[in-house]
Amino acid sequence: MVISRPSILIYADNADEDYLRELCAGIEEEGVLYQVIPAQGELDTLAHRAAEESMLGSGIGISGCRIAMQMRPLPEGRNVFELNQPRFWQCRALGANSARAIKKMPFKAVTGGDEQL
Amino acid sequence: MKLIAGVDIGNSTTEVCIGEERRDGTIGFLAGASRMTTGTKGTLANVMGVKAALAEAMDSIGRPVSDLSLIRLNEAAPVIGDTAMETITETIITESSMIGHNPSTPAGAGQAVGTLLFLENISTGKPGVPYIVAVSSKFSYEEAAAWLNRYIPELMIVGVILQADEAVLVENRLQVDIPIVDEVRRIAQIPEGKLAAIEVALPGTSVRMLSNPYGIATLLGLNADETRAVTPIAKSLIGKRSAVVIRTPHGNIRENVLPAGELYFHGDTEEAIDIDAGADKIMSALEAAGEIRNIDGQQNTNVGNMLQNIRSQMRRVASDESGDIRITDLLAVDTLAPVEISGSLAGETCMEKAVGIAAMVRTQALPMRQIAGALTAELGVRAHVAGVEAVMASLGALTTPGTQLPLAILDMGGGSTDAALLDEDGRVTTTHQAGAGELVSMLIQTELGLGSRVTAEQIKKYPLGKVESLFHMRLENGAMQFFAESIDPRYYGHVVLLAPGELLKIEEDIPMEKIMDVRREAKRKVFVRNALRALRKVAPDHDLRRIPNVVLVGGSAEDFEIPEMLMEALAEYRIVCGRGNIRGSEGPRNAVATGLLLSYLGSREQEGGGDGWS
Repeated sequence: MVISRPSILIYADNADEDYLRELCAGIEEEGVLYQVIPAQGELDTLAHRAAEESMLGSGIGISGCRIAMQMRPLPEGRNVFELNQPRFWQCRALGANSARAIKKMPFKAVTGGDEQL
Repeated sequence: MKLIAGVDIGNSTTEVCIGEERRDGTIGFLAGASRMTTGTKGTLANVMGVKAALAEAMDSIGRPVSDLSLIRLNEAAPVIGDTAMETITETIITESSMIGHNPSTPAGAGQAVGTLLFLENISTGKPGVPYIVAVSSKFSYEEAAAWLNRYIPELMIVGVILQADEAVLVENRLQVDIPIVDEVRRIAQIPEGKLAAIEVALPGTSVRMLSNPYGIATLLGLNADETRAVTPIAKSLIGKRSAVVIRTPHGNIRENVLPAGELYFHGDTEEAIDIDAGADKIMSALEAAGEIRNIDGQQNTNVGNMLQNIRSQMRRVASDESGDIRITDLLAVDTLAPVEISGSLAGETCMEKAVGIAAMVRTQALPMRQIAGALTAELGVRAHVAGVEAVMASLGALTTPGTQLPLAILDMGGGSTDAALLDEDGRVTTTHQAGAGELVSMLIQTELGLGSRVTAEQIKKYPLGKVESLFHMRLENGAMQFFAESIDPRYYGHVVLLAPGELLKIEEDIPMEKIMDVRREAKRKVFVRNALRALRKVAPDHDLRRIPNVVLVGGSAEDFEIPEMLMEALAEYRIVCGRGNIRGSEGPRNAVATGLLLSYLGSREQEGGGDGWS
C-alpha cells in the first residue's frame, strides 16, 4: 500500500532554483507540507495536475521563471494565480496562498506594490 | 377627470404618485415613480429630479406630463442632521515597553524571560545569561537560523523576535524549541540590554501570562507598585496570540483620559454634563432639560470643537446667512474605537473609549415655494406646496392594510428619525430626533476600524457571507450557498457582502460574527433608542401604551433587520408595529406622495382624514 502524505504538490520543469526555494518557504511558514516533483510539460498542465493529484487539492506548477497556482476542481488553464519572472516576495506570497487555500484563509496579495517591510 | 400628482422630495429620493379624481369624488391611483433627489433637499436643483420622476410615472400610463392639472409638493421638515465622533481615552507607550499583536503564524509556544540582544551583536553575549534575540529583516531566515544555532551551545537563547514573517521557517531550522514572535515592524526601536518577557500562545488560545498583571510580575520580578503600573499593559495584551513585555525603568504604557469637555443643554432648565459620563447620563441630562433651545460644548475642548464643526458644516448646507444655527436635539452613543497605540512597535491597537454624536439643527423653512414656482414655469402645470411632510406621511401610511386611528408613523431616514401621531380627530403631533442611518454607518466604521465610510454603508445594508471554497459560501444565518461556476479567487476565504447581483469583498480581516455583532448593535443603539424616544414624545401623555399602531416608513424601513428589531422592542408595549405597505402595494415607500394626493380631497372639501381613498 502506498501512503502519501497530505501535501501540496509542486510540479517543476526546469525550475528557477531561487523561485522554487521562495515558494517552499512560503508554504513552510504557513505550516503545510509540500513535495517538489520534477516533471515536464506546459505550465497550465503542470499546475492542474499538481492540484488534481495533491491529496489536499492544492498545487503549483513552475516552468523556468513562470509559476501558476491551481486548486481542485478548477479546470486546466483556470489558474488561481500566475506569475512570470516575479520578485521573491511574490513567490513567497504565492506559496503561502497555496497553503492558505487549504486552511481556508484569505489570500495574500501576490501582485501590486512591493512589500512594506 | 383631473390628473393630480403628489411629489415628495426627500434627502435621498424623490417620489411621485399620480392619481385621478373620479366623478364620485374619490381618488384612484394610477402610477408611481422614484428617482434620486438631485441636489440638496429643498433647493432649486431638485426640479430636475422631480421632472424626471413625473415623466417616468406619466410615461407608464401613456400620457404626457402636460396632461397633469395639479402638482402637490410636500413642505419638507426644516431639519438637517450631522454626526461626529470623538475618542475620550488614548493609550501611549513611552520608551517602547511592549509588543502585543496577532501575527498569523508565530512559532513555538510558552514563555521565557531574558535580556534583549540584537542578532548582529550576538558575539558580545555572555554565557549563562538568558537572552531574547531580536532579528531584523536584513537577515534571511537561513542566516538567522544558522547564527542562532552556532551560538546556542554557548549562550542561553530563550526566545526570538523577528521583523519578517518567518517565525515558522526559523523555528524549523533551530536545534532548540523556543517561543518566536514575528512581524514586528519597528524592530530597531527595541531597547537592547533590557530585561524582557516573551510569550507565544498555543494555537487557538491567547496569551495568558502576559495578559495577567501578576503573570508579568512573576516573570519580571516586580514589586506591588510596579505591578500596578503594568496593569494597562496586561489589559492591552488581552486576546493577543503573542506578546513581549520589556522592563524599562522609566518606560511605561499609560492610559490618558482626554479633556473631552462638558455639554451644555439650554432648555426649560440648564443642564451641564461631562462627556466622560457616558451616553446614558448624557441622554438623561438631555431629557431633564426639557424643550431644548440650543446645545453647545465647553470652549476649546474636544466636544466644544466637535459641536462647532457640526455647526459650521450645517451652516454651509443650510446656507443660512444669519449665522444663528441652533442645535435642537442630540443623540449620544457609547462606542469603542480601535486606535493604534502611539509608540507601538508592531502596529498594536487598543480599544479606546469614544462617543458618537448625532446632532440636528432646525433651519428656516426650506424654499419649497420657489421649487413649486419653477415647476409651474417649466411644465406649464400648476404646482403648489400642499402640506407638512409628517402629516402627509401619516395620511399615506393609513393606506397600509390593517391600520386604524390613532396611528403613529416612524420615518427613519439618513439624518433624522421623525415620528408623527395622527389621532381620531385628524390632529397630528410630530417630532424630529437626531440620529439615524448615518450615525449607524459611523459607528460601524469606527468600531470595526474600517478605512472607508462606503464599506460601512454597505455592511449596514447587506447580509454577510464567508467564501469557504471556490464553489460555496457560508451565509451569516448558517445556511450554505453553492455556485455552479467557481467564485473569483480574490474572494476566497474572505467575508463578503451579498449585494444584489454582486459580491462585495471586505478587505479588513475581521471575523464574520464580529461584523454581524457590531452591525446589529449599532442599529439597535441608534434605531431602537430613537424610536422609543420619538414615539414617547408624540404619544398621548407620553405613554407608549396609548399608541395602538406604528407604521414604519422611509429608507431605513426597507432595511433587512431594523423593522424586526423595532417590532421586538415595541411588542413590550403591546404596539402593533411593522413595515408599512402603502396602498397595499408600495411597501414603506411613497407614503408622503400618496398622502399629498389623499389630502387633495380634504383640502377641496375642507375635511380632515383620507376617507376618499378607494
